[in-house]
Amino acid sequence: MKLKVYADRMSQPSRAVIIFCKVNGIDFEEIKVELSKRQQLSAEFKEINPMGKVPAIVDGRLKLFESHAILIYLAGAFPGVADHWYPADVSRRAKIHSVLDWHHSNLRRGAASFVLNTVLAPALGLSLNPQAAAEAEKLLSTSLSIIESIWLKGNGRFLLGGFQPSIADLSLVCEIMQLELLSEEDRSRILGPHKKVQQWIQDTRNATRPHFDEAHNILHKVKTKLAVQLSVRANSEMESSIKRVLPSKM
Amino acid sequence: MKLKVYADRMSQPSRAVIIFCKVNGINFEEIKVDLSKRQHLSEEFKEINPMEKVPAIVDGRFKLFESHAILIYLACAFPRVADHWYPADVSRTAKIHSVLDWHHSNLRQGAASFVFNTVLAPALGFPLNPQAASQAEKLLSSSLSKIESIWLKGNGRFLLGGFQPSIADLSLVCEIMQLEVLDEKDHSRILGPHKKVQQWIEDTRNATRPHFDEVHTILYKAKTKLAVQRSVRGNSETESSIKKLPSKM
Repeated sequence: MKLKVYADRMSQPSRAVIIFCKVNGIDFEEIKVELSKRQQLSAEFKEINPMGKVPAIVDGRLKLFESHAILIYLAGAFPGVADHWYPADVSRRAKIHSVLDWHHSNLRRGAASFVLNTVLAPALGLSLNPQAAAEAEKLLSTSLSIIESIWLKGNGRFLLGGFQPSIADLSLVCEIMQLELLSEEDRSRILGPHKKVQQWIQDTRNATRPHFDEAHNILHKVKTKLAVQLSVRANSEMESSIKRVLPSKM
Repeated sequence: MKLKVYADRMSQPSRAVIIFCKVNGINFEEIKVDLSKRQHLSEEFKEINPMEKVPAIVDGRFKLFESHAILIYLACAFPRVADHWYPADVSRTAKIHSVLDWHHSNLRQGAASFVFNTVLAPALGFPLNPQAASQAEKLLSSSLSKIESIWLKGNGRFLLGGFQPSIADLSLVCEIMQLEVLDEKDHSRILGPHKKVQQWIEDTRNATRPHFDEVHTILYKAKTKLAVQRSVRGNSETESSIKKLPSKM
């Protein structure tokens, strides 16, 4: 039975899993779980992942969620995957685990919360929280600095001095790509100072083309849509504040 | 050269690594990095872990941090470690990774933030934040419920239906043990409803005795100390509010 990948390409870890499968020629069926329609909370999907999150996979009798765990599993279970994605060497593997663990409480928390609280919240029925956004930006910027000074220190173009990408490169780069949804101003303030990160994103993209671009298409479409919604909201707010301020006879 | 473990037993992931080494007869040297003295921020320790966090290990020329990564490394690099801690089977390993990944953004975030914002912050030079504490309590309580309804569903006494503990049991139980420093009221409100979690803590403790108890001793000492500090602070606050009363009374 073919591997099933439950995903929404708007979710950065979903994209990482999809790109990984495509780059490594893993035969899979992509099943869309639309977050904006809250399909991840349906009783049907909870049978797949009781936590109500994407991505999740079903491989024969095995059900699995959490994207890092999925990437490691796929690298181990599918024989066609090249060693550099998740090296057999215990020490190199340990370093990859270290990056992935760090990701959870640093880059991911900063990036996901910043994008949610500056752009995505209204589309998901939540309100934007500028204070949470400001806190998230600090964590995000520190995380990008640490990627440059610690994780990208080394000879190769990739994390941990690698000459070829590992699952950690793919996972972290997909996280940062979510910043594509931000306004130009926010995006360039945050990513601008980090030239080494920009180069590394480019290198990871080049190493996983054309699948990388194809899986990220959705972001550019959604960005345009969100910008329109924001400007509509801004206009209507302006109108209502004009109405409030201006005397009604004018 | 002997394995070096840089740790502070007040840190829950430090305790998990220390207990793991002791239970599995791994010969190691424990090097204390005192968080309350901010030793983790020293130049010397930055050479070991540039992220300035405990635990970290040095094994020969190899340096490693992040406790889950350390536990996995130790399970693989030291041949005497029994299979149940980190099974060789790809599917069972995958499930353990899934629990550990979940831990990061759920149980750990809730528990660590709640303990910090109700008890530990003053000792580390920060103010207590009741709003952050109440958000953390929600995440913590829902995490404990999920442990019961999802991770402890199965035949065995341990996570994922295991009959013996894995590194995930040890890591998560050490996290929950941090709640021992809370005052009784908070502790019983949060843990009280979760009988299955309580039984699982007991089972993990029994499976890793006497090391589990020995490594957790520090928490009970810290709890007494923190309670004294709190009551001193409480009294001085009462005094200062009394002083606010009109001086002739």
